Amino acid sequence: MIATVGFLGVVVAAVSSAALAVRGFHASAAGERDTSRWLPYPVLGVVVGAVVAMISLEAGLLADDFSIAYVANNSATTTPFLYKAASAWAALEGSLVLWGLVLALFVLSVWVGRARRGEDRLGAAALGFLGLVSLFVFVILATVSNPFEVCTATYQGGIGCAQTAALPWSASVAGVEGFGPNPLLQNHPLMALHPPTLYVGYVGLTVPFAFAMAALLRAESGDGWLRRTRSWTRIAWIFLTLGIVLGGLWSYEVLGWGGYWAWDPVENASFMPWLLATAFLHSAAVQLRRGVLQSWNFVLVIATFALTILGTFLTRSGVIVSVHSFTQSAIGPALLWFLMIVLVGSLGLFAMRAHLVSSSPRIDSLFSREGAILVNNLLLALFAFVVILGTLYPLIVEAVSGDTVGVGRPFFDRVAVPLSFALILAMAVGPFVPYRAARPGVVWRRIRHPLRAGLVAAVAVVLLGRRNGWVLLAAFFAGFVVALALRQLWVTARAAAAKAGGNIVVEAGRALRRDPAYWGGQLSHIGVALLAMGIALSANSAVRGTVEMTPGGSASFAGHEVAYTAPFIRELPNKTVFGATFEVRRGSDLVAVLEPRLNQYASSRQTVASPAVDSGWRGDFYLALASWDEDGAIALDLYWFPWIWLVWAGAFTTAIGGFFAWLIRRRTAAPRPAPQEVFGV
Amino acid sequence: MSEVLRRWLAGVCTVALAAVVVVAMIIGEDTAQDRVLALGTRIKCPVCQGESIAESPSETSTAMLSVVAEKVAAGESDGQIIEYFTDRYGSGILLDPPFRGRTLALWLTPLVALAGGVALILGLRRRRVTAPAAPDGESR
Repeated sequence: MIATVGFLGVVVAAVSSAALAVRGFHASAAGERDTSRWLPYPVLGVVVGAVVAMISLEAGLLADDFSIAYVANNSATTTPFLYKAASAWAALEGSLVLWGLVLALFVLSVWVGRARRGEDRLGAAALGFLGLVSLFVFVILATVSNPFEVCTATYQGGIGCAQTAALPWSASVAGVEGFGPNPLLQNHPLMALHPPTLYVGYVGLTVPFAFAMAALLRAESGDGWLRRTRSWTRIAWIFLTLGIVLGGLWSYEVLGWGGYWAWDPVENASFMPWLLATAFLHSAAVQLRRGVLQSWNFVLVIATFALTILGTFLTRSGVIVSVHSFTQSAIGPALLWFLMIVLVGSLGLFAMRAHLVSSSPRIDSLFSREGAILVNNLLLALFAFVVILGTLYPLIVEAVSGDTVGVGRPFFDRVAVPLSFALILAMAVGPFVPYRAARPGVVWRRIRHPLRAGLVAAVAVVLLGRRNGWVLLAAFFAGFVVALALRQLWVTARAAAAKAGGNIVVEAGRALRRDPAYWGGQLSHIGVALLAMGIALSANSAVRGTVEMTPGGSASFAGHEVAYTAPFIRELPNKTVFGATFEVRRGSDLVAVLEPRLNQYASSRQTVASPAVDSGWRGDFYLALASWDEDGAIALDLYWFPWIWLVWAGAFTTAIGGFFAWLIRRRTAAPRPAPQEVFGV
Repeated sequence: MSEVLRRWLAGVCTVALAAVVVVAMIIGEDTAQDRVLALGTRIKCPVCQGESIAESPSETSTAMLSVVAEKVAAGESDGQIIEYFTDRYGSGILLDPPFRGRTLALWLTPLVALAGGVALILGLRRRRVTAPAAPDGESR
């Protein structure tokens, strides 16, 4: 019953998507003769269909309806409520339902935004392209990756589901128990938050693509499409940034080795489009201000979307584990075909229209704001290219020669470190170089004092006991970037106060509101500098150790005394927890009582660690159990991560910068004939 | 205080600050570089997906990491230890692709792409239409 309703939701959404594409393109072509009367119905159909599909899946999971194969294989009666709900995106088919829902909500937002504009041919065409993408997603959900397949045979003892039937109204059998989610995915509450956030960002990048394609289709040059595309990109970028950070946080809290980033293909899949979306947010500013880079902006938006599909293909088709499992998953070829269609279609359209939408004015001087942003774009695009290359290289070599080569963290780190510092340099100085052609004297005046502030920051970090070169370089840039932004705000506010005779604080607030995109960008830059410092610290100054202990034993580590009090076992409905209690002292002060655990889930033989962390401004004291014996003998991994909070603080600040730009711009979004942008980015 | 003296003092302060940072960098951090861990991050866990043996908690990884630890304790060089693993598992066991053979292109392609990009940007500038540079002031 639930399966039938959910499946019908998917079908309704698919049919409505097709109708949306037809109506959208028609409204775009017909213009005033078409009053878009029919457009709301397909939009409504897509949204209702997607919502019904999601609610059905959740209902099946929460009601333990094991006649649905997805529920039987990814949930269990003993799974806690939160993880039952989160199981909806813990496996392939369900995660695509979430994908469809997010896309449907973006369709709705674009339609609402369009309804406020009166006649809007560009928006209608964009809705048409969104309809095409959502048609693809919902057809996949109805065919090769159907979450509402019913179970026709269970495994022995009525557990899970061994055989399925595609049509949800077929005769089905319901087992007595399901397998439960993958142990790693039911170990931390962030599992409920991280995937949806990431999806909003990832799927949100479809909207800029739709607007770019609409502009190409209608051969609209100019800034109209660009302003709308930039604002949609910014929204997607905020969520993508947050999603990536939450993923890092999850990894830090769950995986038990204190890492937050491993250059895993799944992580790379979200990072590649992030890099290009970041590049676009910058190059769009150059086009708005100086009318150059028009073609490049189209290419960037198309490439960003293509990378989201490529990333989905890499992580969802099973191709990354081995080239040879390629044909086993039916969704792989479907995604690959879709990627081909997207690339051929969009680049073909671009080739036909490029002469109509491209710009002729060139750059006057490379020592200018646009020059700095060009360097930023080159570095970001190169960064994205290197990540793609490193991710695909083993596949290419294996496909060509059959040999296996490994490309992992050492390669990415070695390339990412110089690229990142070059980017940070461009990021720091770039926003303070004037447009067109800069005179060195002007730039020097702007950066002279902030350079000293950077030195002061580095010396402060030395005094706090850090002497690693990368850390000090990052600290220097952090001080430099903060001082640059504060100085610019001060100078701007002082000039305005002198002119209008007002209060300097009031004028500073006014300056922030007048150009939110610029100042939001500055906040993001500060975040990136802090993040760089956090990464440099965790890569170079972290301390690691392993000890074996019996109850009553103690060890000293990184200035702390760790005393092993007692082991414990807790039987919970869905898992058995093996843990140990430790008292952590610094000097004579009891700092924390930590209980690292190993969780044994009913569905899996392998145990999953739950590390215990004591966080403070000095750093995180991180304990993870490596092994646990019934007599209480344990092996314990100990880590000391100095100032690791800089990583989270920096990354969240980066996202908040984008949010500031979006929020203030929204509140002051009255159409402005001549934009009062002083700084532009 | 005269302007000359003030500037001179500011310069001395800047140089002194820079000197502190440079000296600190030269002295470096005194955390003992964990060779076992450093080697571990270069070797792929054969039963995982793209994790190194230093990161994966699996039994295979733990066993391999303890082999690394034994060899480090026995005084073998990094090269010898890496060779031990590539002899047994093939070069696919390395997460750190060497700058030769099948992975040479991996290292060279980004450099070629960088050169191409730089050439593209320089080309953008050369074909410029000459326009008078705008006067730039402090407020822009």
